[in-house]
Amino acid sequence: MSSLYILIPVSMLLLVAAIAGFIWAVNKDQFEDLERQGSEALDLDEDDDGSGSITRDR
Amino acid sequence: MTAAQTASLSRSDHWISEQDGLAHALFTAEGIHCAGCARAIEKALADLPGLESVSINVVARRVSVDFHPSKLSFERILRRVSEKGFKPVPIAGAGATAAARLERKQALKRIGVAALGGMQLMMYAVGLYSGAFSGIDPHLERMLQWSCLAITTPVLFYSGAPILAGAWREWRLGSLGMDTSIGLAVVLAYTASVINTLRGTGTVYFDTVTMFILFVLIARYFELSARHRSCAATEALACSLPESVQRVLTDGTTERVSLAEIRAGDRLRVTVGQAIPVDGRILEGQTRVDEALLTGESMALHRGPGERVLGGAINVGAAILIEATRSAQESTVNTIVRLLERASQSRPRIALLADRIARNFVFAVLVLTVCVGAAWAYFDPSRAFEAMLATLAVTCPCALSLAMPAALATTMESLSTRGLLVTRSDALETLAGVDTVALDKTGTLTLGAPQIIATELLGNLPQPAVLAHAAALERGSAHPLAAAFLPFANPALQAEGFEEVAGKGVEARIAGQRWRIGTLDFIHELLPGAKPPAAAHATSWLANEHAIMARFEIADGLRPEAKEAVAKLRELGLEVQLLSGDRPQIVADTARQLGIDRFAAAQTPDDKLKHVSDLQRRGHRVLMIGDGINDGPVLAAADVSLAMGGGTAIAQAAADLVLLRPDLRALPQAIVAARRCARIIRQNFCWAIGYNLSAVPLAAFGLISPWLAALGMSASSLLVVLNAQRLRKGAA
Repeated sequence: MSSLYILIPVSMLLLVAAIAGFIWAVNKDQFEDLERQGSEALDLDEDDDGSGSITRDR
Repeated sequence: MTAAQTASLSRSDHWISEQDGLAHALFTAEGIHCAGCARAIEKALADLPGLESVSINVVARRVSVDFHPSKLSFERILRRVSEKGFKPVPIAGAGATAAARLERKQALKRIGVAALGGMQLMMYAVGLYSGAFSGIDPHLERMLQWSCLAITTPVLFYSGAPILAGAWREWRLGSLGMDTSIGLAVVLAYTASVINTLRGTGTVYFDTVTMFILFVLIARYFELSARHRSCAATEALACSLPESVQRVLTDGTTERVSLAEIRAGDRLRVTVGQAIPVDGRILEGQTRVDEALLTGESMALHRGPGERVLGGAINVGAAILIEATRSAQESTVNTIVRLLERASQSRPRIALLADRIARNFVFAVLVLTVCVGAAWAYFDPSRAFEAMLATLAVTCPCALSLAMPAALATTMESLSTRGLLVTRSDALETLAGVDTVALDKTGTLTLGAPQIIATELLGNLPQPAVLAHAAALERGSAHPLAAAFLPFANPALQAEGFEEVAGKGVEARIAGQRWRIGTLDFIHELLPGAKPPAAAHATSWLANEHAIMARFEIADGLRPEAKEAVAKLRELGLEVQLLSGDRPQIVADTARQLGIDRFAAAQTPDDKLKHVSDLQRRGHRVLMIGDGINDGPVLAAADVSLAMGGGTAIAQAAADLVLLRPDLRALPQAIVAARRCARIIRQNFCWAIGYNLSAVPLAAFGLISPWLAALGMSASSLLVVLNAQRLRKGAA
């Protein structure tokens, strides 16, 4: 049971990390367009080099 | 360069913002429909030197590019995009769009924090609950409670901020609303939990607080995205117009002028891919125009010299020269935007009523909560707080004030994609209850593009002269039949002093003589006792002060879809009637072709008005459909009216609905959509009443714990919003 005294704080830290990650994703416009990427998988373009997007984000 | 020119150029600079040597530009690319389009643009731009990144939002049709302005000019990017057949346009009201984006992002972040926090909290809560049953180390319990407090605090003050701010605003304005009861519930639950945590005894409600906030936020997010999607339609129209236009001067040179400077009569050059800036007439060039944004017409339409084009339509064929017939302010596209905005701003009666009910409802709930608290304090003080909390949390006025605007906006939007413009928000409610449809014939059921099928000369003038006189007179007429004469106009023959008598004809002076064209009655007023031969078909008579000169037979073809539309209307259980100013024989003929049993012919505007009022007196609710100009009074008198816009008459149309694309099949669709909308609103009302009536007593008697109450309330409001969203799908 005593492991809980460590696990609970650890879970809090994980929560903070998860929230930080989510906010970062929203700020980076990851949730702007939820339709396109879904339909992209169905797009069978012959000359697709498989690299997906050309966005050169650093 | 004029001041306006400078202004229009500098405005285009707003496309681009620069930071640390990297430029960022955002624009709408007209023509993006799917992921394939987005990929095409990305590929087209990919090999440009100096390009940093491209991202494309298919839903908003928005392209955002980052590039190094030292190596790559923005013009080159735009040219590449245009070459692929997309039309880059600046985002009108970019500030508004940015605000909407920010709002959406904020809402997402708040939901994210509440959701992640809520999940974690549930784990701790499970520990606490099982601990309460099977025993728990008091130190561990304290630790769990403090952890819950640590998570709930940011959820309440960050995620719950809009609710708290809303409650505070409502309190200050003295108008109680949803936020008051929700805000009060979460703050009370939170405060009690904090006190109990500090004291180390008693129950904590942290999970209730978090879940409540999460569910409310989710329900509101759905409402928010519905609202943003409806706004986008107006925005797309407004930003389809170009910022500046090429005006051709009399000496053949061109100058760039801003939209606001265009006057009727200006000659403007419109290149391929550009939106036609104002309503006008083609002077040179054959082209195709895309009116999808204006009328919902998906096919590009052929237009040649002399034909009208609508401002806001995209020129997709070839470069043309047009003569402006209206200024930008008066043009169709502007009128549509204004009408749309007016409709979305006016709150329908039913929504105002709902607001009032919701306000009283919240007040009643607060009073009830106090009573519940007092009663429990008398019988069992230990349960008073929980019962009060549950009562506050369980009540849900949301179906009244939240979901109705969503239902109305969704319906209006889905109608506008079919070319039907709702100009008054009450119209949908009335339309759903209509039981009789009265149709005008000319220009409504018929094409409104009549032809002269026979000319009988009755005077001493030769045929060309007769036609030229008729054309000169009809130039002053707005009647649909007038169009048949216009091709025969002779510029040498000009009439003046036009006087039009609605439903009868036109009088004017030509070379000092009074001439009339119109019905026989109208001619008789000028020439009492004239005896013309009997005639069938739509007949116009031409006469001067001395004699009847000619008789014209004019026929006007039925719209191809008219029969189908009338049949559908009857299938919907509506009584269809035909009211026409035309001759009985023709009206009977038309009615028979369309399968309409009840019709009235030779109706003056007054007769039509009387007919509709009679129907209303007998308890019918009447939808009147007319061409919008001749039928003004009767359109105004009907319970709900629809005008055939046809692109030119929208501004004058005093109708509740305007059909922008001449396709009558939109009529039954509109009635189906209005009925669905009314049904959904009714369902939501019934649900709200039923839910509250059954849940509030349960909570008051302490049979529902606060967390269950919060779940019930949130589920109820989510249900209501999702129910309204059903209007978006189906009904196609």
